[in-house]
Order: sequence, then C-alpha cells, then structure tokens
Amino acid sequence: MLSFFQARNETPRLRTLRQLALFSTLSRLELRVVDALLHERRFLKGEIIFDEGEEGQALHVVIAGRVLICRQGDPVNGRVTEIDAGVAFGELALLENAPRALQARAEEDSVLASLSRGDLESLLVTHAVVASKILLQLARQLGRQLRARADAERRAL
Amino acid sequence: MKETRAPAPSRSRYLASGPVVWVATFVCTTLLLLALKQALWLVVPFLMAIILYYVLFPAVRYVTLKGVDRETAAAIVAGATLVIGIAALVPTLPWLAAQAVSGQEAVFRYLAGGRLLVERSLAMLESQLAFLRELDFHAEMSQRMSDFSGTYLKEHIAGALLAVAAWLPAMLLAPFLAFFFLRDGRRFLKYLAEAVPNAYFERTLYMIDRVDATARAYFQGLMKLTLIDTVCLAIGLAAIGMPSAFGLGLMSAVLAWVPFIGSVIACVIVVLVAATDFPTTPWVVYAAITLFLVVRLLDDFVFMPLTVGRSLHMHPLPTVLFIFLGGAVAGVPGLILVLPLAGVVMVVAGTIGGIVNDPRLGARHAFAKKLHAQRITADLQA
Repeated sequence: MLSFFQARNETPRLRTLRQLALFSTLSRLELRVVDALLHERRFLKGEIIFDEGEEGQALHVVIAGRVLICRQGDPVNGRVTEIDAGVAFGELALLENAPRALQARAEEDSVLASLSRGDLESLLVTHAVVASKILLQLARQLGRQLRARADAERRAL
Repeated sequence: MKETRAPAPSRSRYLASGPVVWVATFVCTTLLLLALKQALWLVVPFLMAIILYYVLFPAVRYVTLKGVDRETAAAIVAGATLVIGIAALVPTLPWLAAQAVSGQEAVFRYLAGGRLLVERSLAMLESQLAFLRELDFHAEMSQRMSDFSGTYLKEHIAGALLAVAAWLPAMLLAPFLAFFFLRDGRRFLKYLAEAVPNAYFERTLYMIDRVDATARAYFQGLMKLTLIDTVCLAIGLAAIGMPSAFGLGLMSAVLAWVPFIGSVIACVIVVLVAATDFPTTPWVVYAAITLFLVVRLLDDFVFMPLTVGRSLHMHPLPTVLFIFLGGAVAGVPGLILVLPLAGVVMVVAGTIGGIVNDPRLGARHAFAKKLHAQRITADLQA
C-alpha cells in the first residue's frame, strides 16, 4: 500500500547519485534516504578541502571535477593520488576515527557530495541495510586502491 | 527502532574549552532565557513540539525506509498520532468535563484534607513537646493556614486556572510545529550547512550533529525517565491503596520535569490526596512520602544517570548553577529549559571557540575568497 506514495520517476539528482560507485548498489528508495543526508559542496580549483591532521567529520564523493590527495602544503612533489568523479575519499578518518592522513585539494573546479560522520553512524542504527551497502562499496574501493598500490610498488621494484 | 545515539564519549578536538567558553556559555544562556521569558506563550508550545518531534522522529524514519518520502512520512506519522490522540481523548472527555466542573471544589476539599492532617500532626507534636505547648504553636499555625487557604489561595487558584485556559490556544501550536520540524527539519539543517563557507563546513557538520545528538538524547532521555517514574510511582501508589494511582504517577513524573521543586510539589499533591481519602489511616500518607523519597533517590542515582544524565556531559556544579540561573531568570519554564539550552549553547560556544582558536581555518577561508575574486575578475584583468 505504501508504494502508492512512491514517486514513479527517478529524478536527475538520483540518477547522478546512482552513477557514483559508493551508491550504485542502493535501490531508488534507499538512494532517496541517502540523498536527504548528503550535502553538496562546490570547490574552486586549488581550494583546500581538508588539511592533514584535521579531525575528519565527513566522507566526500566527487560528483564532478578532480581532487588531489597530497602531503600537507606540497601539491607538486607530495602528490599521492588523484580522485576522479564517482570515487569517494576521506573515508579513512571516519572509519578509523583518526585525523586526516593527507591534504585534499580541488585539482579542478569540483562538486562534492559529503556525508557526515553523524549521519553515517545514524544510518548504521536506523537503516542498517543502506549503511552496510555503502560500507561494502567503501571496502571494495579500499581493496581496489590497495591492489593498485601493490601493483605500483611491484612495478617499481 | 532504536534512534538515540549518545554523544561521542571522547571529547572532540573541535570543541574548545576553558574559562572564556564557559563565560560565553553562561552569558548566552542567560540572554536566551531572557529572550524566552519575553515570548513565554511561544516557548511552552515550542518545548512541547520539540519533545513531540524527538518522540515521533524514529517513526518517521521507519516509514521513510518503507519507501515513502520525508514529507509524506511526516504527514502519515503526524496524522496517525492525531487520530490516536483523539481516540484516546474522546472516551475521557466526559470525565474531564466532570473534573473541570468540580475542579475548584476538589482543590479545596483536598486542601482541607491536608490541613486536617497538619493540624492532627501539630496537635500530636504539641502533646509530646512542652515548649510547643507553651508557644501555643498549634493555634498559631492553624490561624496562619486558615488565612492562607481562605484568602491567598482562593484569589490565586482562580487566576492560575484562567491563565491555563488562556494558554490552551497557544498549546494547539505544538502539534503544528512538531509536524513542520519532522517534515522540514533536515532540510533546514542542510540550508544552514550550505550557508557556511567551505573552510568551516566540517566544523559546522560536527556542531549540527552534536547539537542534534545532545537535544535528542536529553528529550528522549526525559521521556524514558517520565515513563520509568510513572511506572514506579503508579505501582507504589497502587500497592499502598491510593486511588487513581496511574494518573497521580503520571502527573508526578511530568511535574518532575521541573528540577527540584517539581518532585516536592508532586509529593505534596499526593499527600493531600492521601490525607483526604484516608483521613483515619495516617500510615498511607507516611507510605506515600516514603515512596516519593525512594523514587527520588532512585531517580538521582540510577534512572537519571542512565537517561537524561548521558546527554549533557556536564559537571554537577555548573548543572546546579544553571538550574538556579534558569529559575532566577525565567521562573518555572526557565527551570525546565535551562539544562537542554545550556547543553546546546555549550556545544555551539565550544565549536565557535575552536574555530576562533584555529587561524588555519581563517587563512583557508581567505584563500578561497581570493580564488573566487580572481575568478570573477579574470576577464577584467585580461
């Protein structure tokens, strides 16, 4: 009976979110729950998103643009990785409850979707299925990054 | 569905502390209490709306998960609550109407019962203690009580009943406010966060989360405490044979929302009822007083630390100071509101203190503004 109230068509906003790997396994209804929690932020090229050593309060997903992860204050020689559209970053500070390990800067004009620590924890309690789907996607992303890093080190040797 | 999420046990580095933050918290709480006092007709429905919001919030989330959007979920939950409320109220309307008609008579009947109890106790004391007999203590006290109940109370009870009647229309605001909090609360917080520059964004997220968690833990804890108190008092009062044990228990639990004096007033009311309904069996009065003392001790040492106490993380000394401040500045509403208000102000003041003490954030904001200025003047420079 409740399906009577459901919107029939997916909005452009939900379609955008579904293209992000982090939310790609969520159903339309679950996506709407998450959408209500996401904050959209716009950063200009060169703008700092977070600093090394900061207390992480949100994980971010790049909707558009590109983000540079680098050592604090050294975007040229201290480059660690680049985050392209669709990929999440800043999750380690949330998962480990640790300070940010590196600095994040917008390498291009970027649009980010941010999910706060409080909302993620709240999802774990009230929408465990949604939270576990997101965390599973995060685990997959971390696995991919770990494999990529191992491959790079192997090649370097 | 469990919703309450206690604030993080470890203190965040984002929260500044120290004398300046504490002074700011006291000053801001006092100013807010003064402002609230000026709009008391709005504060009480607002407080009821906040309580309703936190009570109904888990239900709204549950309905949302079933595939309903937030607006419709809020409407469904609010509508269902309204229907349940009306269904519960309709059968009690004849009783309420009867009580309203005989209300003033009942008040004076119970006061007379209480006066009789006090007079008997004084007479007994006077028969035991010679110095009271010499002072004619019984007659003196009887005269004073007679003056009090004869003139003062008659004047003020009518005034109080009229004031309550005048407040009833304002109370109708509470369900409307609660509905809009449920429907648009999240959107409002998002707008608030959107208005903040990027440099301060994560701090703002932290502050919003802590404020929400503090208020939610406090008000949901208050509801749990009310339920526990009601059950304990109802069982105790029923065990000693008091009539309307559940009603008296609920009234006492709600009165306990007012720190310190609420429990005393509730105890006095129950003693008046016991003294009137059981004039020849004084042990019922003593049992009721003992019951209140036991529940008060359980509240202070067991129930409150497990419910409301977890929400504020405040030292007992400033807690007591805040309660005195609330009572002095805004009376009974101040006593009820001061602790959650101080908890929220403390989080906001701590976060702002943390931002002020972090020059890096200011530098990042200035850098972002410079980037923005360069962008919008790029073609002019070319």
